[in-house]
Amino acid sequence: MVALLAAALLAGAKSSPQTFPRPSVPKPVRVNLKELPTAFNKPAPVSMADLRDMQDHVAALVARVSPAVVEVEVGHATGSGVVISEDGLVLTAGHVGEWTGRRVKFTFPNGKTARGQTLGVDEEADAGLMRITDPGPWPHADVGEMKRARLGDWTLALGHPGGFDAKRSLVARLGRIVRLTPGLVQTDCTIFPGDSGGPLFDMYGRVIAIHTAIASSTIENFHVPITEFFENWGELTALPPPPPPPRPQAYCGLSVVDDAGGCRLDKIEDDSPAAKADLKEGDYVLLVDGRRIEASAAFNRWIAESGPGETLQLEIKRGQNVFPVRIKLQPQPRGVK
Amino acid sequence: MTDALPSPGRLLCLLLLAAGLALAALAQDQDNSPRLPRARYRSGQEVLDAFAPISAQMRDSIVELNVKEDTVALGVVVDTNGLVLTKASEIKSGRLTCWLASGKEVEAQLLAADDDNDVALVRVKAAGLKPVQWASNPVVEGQWAITPGLADTPQAVGIISTIPHRIRPQRALIGVDFDLDATRPTVGLLESGFGAEEAGVKPGDIFVAVDGASVTNSQQVIEILREFRDGQTVRIRFKRAGREFDASIKMMTPKAGQAGFRSYDNERENRLSGDVSLRNEGFEQVIQHDTVLEPWQCGGPLVNLDGKVIGLNIARASRFATYALPSGLTRQILAKLKSKAEQPQSAAMKSPTDER
Repeated sequence: MVALLAAALLAGAKSSPQTFPRPSVPKPVRVNLKELPTAFNKPAPVSMADLRDMQDHVAALVARVSPAVVEVEVGHATGSGVVISEDGLVLTAGHVGEWTGRRVKFTFPNGKTARGQTLGVDEEADAGLMRITDPGPWPHADVGEMKRARLGDWTLALGHPGGFDAKRSLVARLGRIVRLTPGLVQTDCTIFPGDSGGPLFDMYGRVIAIHTAIASSTIENFHVPITEFFENWGELTALPPPPPPPRPQAYCGLSVVDDAGGCRLDKIEDDSPAAKADLKEGDYVLLVDGRRIEASAAFNRWIAESGPGETLQLEIKRGQNVFPVRIKLQPQPRGVK
Repeated sequence: MTDALPSPGRLLCLLLLAAGLALAALAQDQDNSPRLPRARYRSGQEVLDAFAPISAQMRDSIVELNVKEDTVALGVVVDTNGLVLTKASEIKSGRLTCWLASGKEVEAQLLAADDDNDVALVRVKAAGLKPVQWASNPVVEGQWAITPGLADTPQAVGIISTIPHRIRPQRALIGVDFDLDATRPTVGLLESGFGAEEAGVKPGDIFVAVDGASVTNSQQVIEILREFRDGQTVRIRFKRAGREFDASIKMMTPKAGQAGFRSYDNERENRLSGDVSLRNEGFEQVIQHDTVLEPWQCGGPLVNLDGKVIGLNIARASRFATYALPSGLTRQILAKLKSKAEQPQSAAMKSPTDER
């Protein structure tokens, strides 16, 4: 059910020569309580009329805010995000982008894609900012504030649980704020891996929080309050971007080529992690960590994005046998490119 | 109230949500923060109370099916003579009875099943049941999705989450490795214990057509086969030594130890999703909604605010999704099952439990 997403992405996306001014802190859109059907302000709906009002409101809301919600692909990871400005500023979770200056592919619910990059990340709050670098204008959502949020407020969660699925597209979930802490909002909107970074809307259609984490019970869904983004705005938008942490090159000691059967192992170096894992020349790599490998480029990118010490789970095809192999990556030995 | 997580002390283990990322632990001191009373949650009792008129309208159109005294599914009453639709794979062999809204337990009998969409037609020995009314309007995302049961208020409620879409079956195989040097799709090797071997397919046989569609490369073969599920039979036309022939090959999901077997790490997923239906893939079209149901709460109607049936709840699929077969599809299946049930008994009906 967790979608297995092909790793062959992002090829050729160069950072755009376009320069953007440093974005200022987004301004929460003011709203009037009277705009909402009264049902939303009761402890619980009490009549069929309340339920109808809620339904009409929520259905219209889903249609209105959905165009601004994106799927986000960075390196191996996929998550969700929401565009909050015409020129393409995207709020997401910190752990989706992980660090500054990475290339990102955004996919809108209608299937349209855009290129961009990660801006700042606040790991502690799990807040992340990205930007679409392709020229806009982009559909975007209003931002709200948490000041007036109360226990029991109705919320709408949007995102791509399990990853982007064209025939399904966005997944809408309704719930209520069931717990409020300074750094975290809990709702009973059932979110799932792949939703990370997606928006939690209030009933005015304003983004009030970003999906971050879940625990095992279906009522334990956690979201980063938008306040965390505002408070750390400087860090999230700092220019020039801090350089990405130097990432030691991982070494696995094999080269791969493409042929009609897929990604084939070409050369195995002696005493390398690949040799220790008993891989043989002529084996085909079918999967890495559950992702289908269609081509050598995808495999190489995977290795490049992995770190020394990481263990990869491969599915190997040798002759008619398909079997799993675990391979532990080492640091790049001296003298090897 | 329980946080159903085996966490030491106050360390709440949370799973970060980007697909492909590992477990992360956050230290969270949340014990003192106020919580919403459970009755006011999205599907809490106070909210469900507002839906009581729907339940009142629906109760006599719903049954609770029991196999050997265990409740396994709900059912939808579709006529006044006791015909009921339900989720086929939950109806295991054994004495079948059902509870009615009146509190009576009556005998029930399985008449026919549709394996494609996992629907069964059951006859309930009871009079005075009220057939459901089918909705004709298409559903929209964000509308209420209500799952009534026998009680005064619904089992649970949610909203429609996505546009209706198809759910592919779990992957099944015929057990052929392609000959990678051939230009046309050609059998290279046969996996033992799979359908192709059993059907007499030989290395060197060339795929000409799969399920009636002609094929010229292996990708096409794979794509067409991807639509078949475990236990189904696919007709494949091969060419051998210049002559064409048809083979009927049974599809099979690889079991542990067989080629192509993939051991998913289900533990994490299950922990996040709770109990899901055993059969939760392979449906022609589903309405996806976010109602949190127990697997046994499937098989009954999914209704709108008018008390009209928008779908038949067919599977609890994951943490965030329950699937319902749309009412139009359900009625088509009903018509097929009725005519199947009227056929002479010699057209021996397979028990749906043969499937897994």
